[in-house]
Amino acid sequence: MASGHTPQRPLPDAKPTPRSREPRGTELGAPWDSRGPRPTVRAHEVGEPREEAQAQCSSVVDGNFEEVPRETAIQFKPPLYRQRYQFVKNLVDQHEPKKVADLGCGDTSLLRLLKVNPCIELLVGVDINEDKLRWRGDSLAPFMGDFLKPRDLNLTIILYHGSVVERDSRLLGFDLITCIELIEHLDSGDLARFPEVVFGYLSPSMIVISTPNSEFNPLFPSVTLRDSDHKFEWTRMEFQTWALYVANRYDYSVEFTGVGEPPAGAENVGYCTQIGIFQKNGGRATEACVSEQHDQHVYKAVFTTSYPSLQQERFFKLVLVNEVSQQVESLRVSHLPRRKEQDGEQGDKPKDIGGSKAPVPCFGPVFTEVEKAKIENSPKPFCVGDKFFVPLQRLLAYPRLNRLCANEEMMRSVIADSIPLSSDGSAVVTDLCNYFDEQFEF
Amino acid sequence: MSGRARVKARGIARSPSATEVGRTQAAPLPTSVDLSNNEASSSNGFLGTSRISTNDKYGISSGDAGSTSMERGVKNKQDFMDLSICTREKLAHVRDCKTGSSGIPVKLVTNLFNLDFPQDWQLYQYHVTYVPDLASRRLRIALLYSHSELSNKAKAFDGAILFLSQKLEEKVTELSSETQRGETIKMTITLKRELPSSSPVCIQVFNIIFRKILKKLSMYQIGRNFYNPSEPVEIPQHKLSLWPGFAISVSYFESKLLFSADVSYKVLRNETVLEFMTALCRRTGLTCFTQTCEKQLIGLIVLTRYNNRTYSIDDIDWSVKPTHTFQKRDGTEITYVDYYKQQYDITVSDLNQPMLVSLLKRKRNDNSEARLAHLIPELCFLTGLTDQATSDFQLMKAVAEKTRLPPSGRQQRLARLVDNIQRNTNARFELETWGLHFGSQISLTGRVVPSEKILMQDHICQPVSAADWSKDVRTCKILNARSLNTWLILCSDRTEYVAESFLNCLRRVAGSMGFNVDYPKIIKVQENPAAFVRAVQQYVDPDVQLVMCILPSNQKTYYDSIKKYLSSDCPVPSQCVLARTLNKQGMMMSIATKIAMQMTCKLGGELWAVEIPLKSLMVVGIDVCKDALSKDVMVVGCVASVNPGITRWFSRCILQRTMTDVADCLKVFMTGALNKWYKYNHDLPARIVVYRAGVGDGQLKTLVEYEVPQLLSSVAESSSNTSSRLSVIVVRKKCMPRFFTEMNRTVQNPPIGTVVDSEATRNEWYDFYLISQVACRGTVSPTYYNVIYDDNGLKPDHMQRLTFKLCHLYYNWPGIVSVPAPCQYAHKLTFLVAQSIHKEPSLELANHLFYL
Repeated sequence: MASGHTPQRPLPDAKPTPRSREPRGTELGAPWDSRGPRPTVRAHEVGEPREEAQAQCSSVVDGNFEEVPRETAIQFKPPLYRQRYQFVKNLVDQHEPKKVADLGCGDTSLLRLLKVNPCIELLVGVDINEDKLRWRGDSLAPFMGDFLKPRDLNLTIILYHGSVVERDSRLLGFDLITCIELIEHLDSGDLARFPEVVFGYLSPSMIVISTPNSEFNPLFPSVTLRDSDHKFEWTRMEFQTWALYVANRYDYSVEFTGVGEPPAGAENVGYCTQIGIFQKNGGRATEACVSEQHDQHVYKAVFTTSYPSLQQERFFKLVLVNEVSQQVESLRVSHLPRRKEQDGEQGDKPKDIGGSKAPVPCFGPVFTEVEKAKIENSPKPFCVGDKFFVPLQRLLAYPRLNRLCANEEMMRSVIADSIPLSSDGSAVVTDLCNYFDEQFEF
Repeated sequence: MSGRARVKARGIARSPSATEVGRTQAAPLPTSVDLSNNEASSSNGFLGTSRISTNDKYGISSGDAGSTSMERGVKNKQDFMDLSICTREKLAHVRDCKTGSSGIPVKLVTNLFNLDFPQDWQLYQYHVTYVPDLASRRLRIALLYSHSELSNKAKAFDGAILFLSQKLEEKVTELSSETQRGETIKMTITLKRELPSSSPVCIQVFNIIFRKILKKLSMYQIGRNFYNPSEPVEIPQHKLSLWPGFAISVSYFESKLLFSADVSYKVLRNETVLEFMTALCRRTGLTCFTQTCEKQLIGLIVLTRYNNRTYSIDDIDWSVKPTHTFQKRDGTEITYVDYYKQQYDITVSDLNQPMLVSLLKRKRNDNSEARLAHLIPELCFLTGLTDQATSDFQLMKAVAEKTRLPPSGRQQRLARLVDNIQRNTNARFELETWGLHFGSQISLTGRVVPSEKILMQDHICQPVSAADWSKDVRTCKILNARSLNTWLILCSDRTEYVAESFLNCLRRVAGSMGFNVDYPKIIKVQENPAAFVRAVQQYVDPDVQLVMCILPSNQKTYYDSIKKYLSSDCPVPSQCVLARTLNKQGMMMSIATKIAMQMTCKLGGELWAVEIPLKSLMVVGIDVCKDALSKDVMVVGCVASVNPGITRWFSRCILQRTMTDVADCLKVFMTGALNKWYKYNHDLPARIVVYRAGVGDGQLKTLVEYEVPQLLSSVAESSSNTSSRLSVIVVRKKCMPRFFTEMNRTVQNPPIGTVVDSEATRNEWYDFYLISQVACRGTVSPTYYNVIYDDNGLKPDHMQRLTFKLCHLYYNWPGIVSVPAPCQYAHKLTFLVAQSIHKEPSLELANHLFYL
């Protein structure tokens, strides 16, 4: 099935020809071959890069920027840019940062991948190309489904137009800043200023920097630089020297890894993309040190959106009222007097028919023994005349409602003006029979 | 349906049902449900199909928020296609002036706004080519947009055609850009056309600009409308969310370009397919669950919450579970659960649910085999209201209550929208770069035509209000009633008592209106649909004039099976009424009156008339809708008056497959109707006026090129010497303009009989708006009439007044209705056939209004 996110970040990596495959990296020494320093992150899980030559390119279906490669191309599978994004995503899953910024976010593909992560509350993209930000910015706005099924936590996404070597105080205090294939686009002046701004000034808890590994380049046909805008491409040694120096200077520790494994026989050139993961020594930036900084707004906010969430009263109410209505409805239906033959076990228990040949539907909420006991021990729904009552205490026993609402008082106050309650306010009231029931008499 | 009788009896309008066809006429009664008339835009990939579609009344099915401007463009083109059919220039008598002059002038405020731009404003259309050629539209756009030459210019670009409001220096501009792979791409931008602001292409671009602007106001685009999701109106009892918003468009009206905006609500369902299935399973029990579930779900459109796409459910695969694996595009196998976790961070909680199967739409120019997608019910939201939901009176009432807006409220929302557009810097910037300026709200002068007198048997009555004259005529005898001597009442044991008391009441009120009702044979039946049908089959013989069924429940099967049998298999007029309706305390008299009137009509009686100055005039109503069961079948209802008083009708319903077939069957119908007229009047009518409803966007051409000639030829063939003169009028209940009168510093609905034939009309058409209904609490919608053919040569004044008079002749409601009675009859007939009967009713019933 098609994925909703269509990647557009181009894959600058091209195709090795057979003759350029001999490893040339002997002078680089052993430490950086692919069995070199193992990353702490699960980089090896990210892709299955040892793909055959002539692998079919899936880029056409994705509609991204990649042109169909010439026949002899080696393709990374998944494409390398996706491996890089997946790498960041895995890192986010692992560390659960709240505030994440992507510097050089381009057309915001990585942000779109990260926005589904429930832990992130502030997601920022910065790029120097304003048109690009505007062009796809809309796609970061909440979907219809985000309103119908809001997130647990607030999420704000902001895109700034600006340069990564300028200081903007709105990027202070972040948990993670990513610079994916960014530094190689900086000229020497900017590169010199970059650590000072990102490490020194912004000083987030974690920084991820990826850049091409030039030792891999000989595997490509006649490639000097992978992109005409690249100001340089580093060997592992060059990158790591730079990274260690920066880390040392700004009190970070750094680990190296990469994505895009080299083809068999050329393992010693290392990953196609090299990645440094910088972690600030002494843990997270404290809020206090953030507020000391003076406001300094040099970036221009191009796009801002906030997601509905359960932290917002309106959406919390919406979700709670819906959940209550649904639970009451399912209890009501199982209380309906059946005019026809009682066809076996019915009611709110999902049926369990094992071993029969014909596929039998068997679904609905499944409760643990503890949950079942809790529901069983709560006050039961009851009927008075043609009215049906469900005590709020009963509703609170269901895990989905319990997750939303801690106590009866809270539930009552939120749902009171949307759902009819009994006169003492302790139960939800509804008609025992409604229009739909008649439509299902058989 | 039995619910209908109850509603009618109360004089409360039934809301237009979503099962009704897009643009056909809905409920006759004074109602105003302010839901959007959003196009059924879910048909993204199926452009070019007929615009008639079912559930678009509520604009729910759509949700194609992901569609591109190009695809929407096609939709727009259909509107422009209609606009390019210039029918007025062929009508000599209105070429110079199509406005009437009679009636009292009334000042009206509209929901239309001026769009100002410099006199010499032009749009420049360029064509962009790439060397080497690029297949990806995205890449083409990205390359062009990132070029400094074009930044800071107002531009609209779809990958090939570029629109600019400022001319480039050169006719041909060569640019080159580098892809991020380092490949150099040459772009050639060639000027193709310079377009004046009146060009249809410009209007398309204006619409694109305004869509951009509304997006900048944080509004959410669905179809062609914009909604504000942060202020939802909730109806938790029915699991609905309503998003307030606007339908907007820019188009060329009589003399200038105008922006129009109307309040619209998007109905969303807070219910996933899994929740729906679980609830259904509880109701039905296991035995018939899978079958019922498939029946309920297949064909529905669902919204997937993770990627905002819509899919139609084509099947349910009960054997596949979320824990099963599927092959990704790269060939690897992954379970559904893992896939959603990895891709979208979504945990599928129910591992036993089956999978929904959707046939993916093929991309344009893609001839590969259609692909199937498996969808997880838990992650799919239902969209749209099912037929069942729309027939739920309580639900529809709740929706109507939440969405009804009085004119003042509507005006406030419009003012707020305009204010937002003008205050928001981004929005204003967008307008300014294009050289546009948002102008003032349009006011115009309409006319109120004189009210009509209602002619009863021995009394001429001037109703206090045209909205409802039931009180005015309570003591009057109806024009003509046939005596009811041989008839049956079917009821169950439980309802026998109420049947008896109802019968007494019915005979009493019928007597006072001049309708003799003898005592029927009462047959007791078991409470199930099959028993009712068996009883009907057993007891109905050719002498039976009418069968009344007192239904124990609302279940659709009762009504459908009885109507089906008695409309085609054994054609006898029938009257269904819900037992519950008859139990209403204190309502018996008005219910009995209502039912007595319906029964009179079903027996061929006439209730009332209005004065028709034209002496030999036949009026015809045509409506088209889709069959509820087989969506490729079109139900064509045609109703023609067969006497000069316009009180007796010939009704026929024909099922067809294509639009050209529709035209053909109109000929068959017209010939039949003219024969009938000849039989009763021993001559042919001098004039025929056809009101055609159920016309979708983009169908005007078909009407002009096929239907009108077919109607003309049937008229010509029926007479050897002088043939009748013909007018054809397209009737649309849905139109963008709204009109308000200003009173005491607030706005109100204009009076009944208000005609607007200037400014909000179109220069290329002979068209007018008429307000012929009352909205007590909401805002009245005008009905739009477009005279596409007219050799009757009636003056616009007369055409407008005739139309107004005909709105008084719908016998199912003692008051004015929103469309001419023949249209309303045709609508009622098609609705019955499309919803319940699904085959052509017997011609033996054609002389009776058996479908009321």
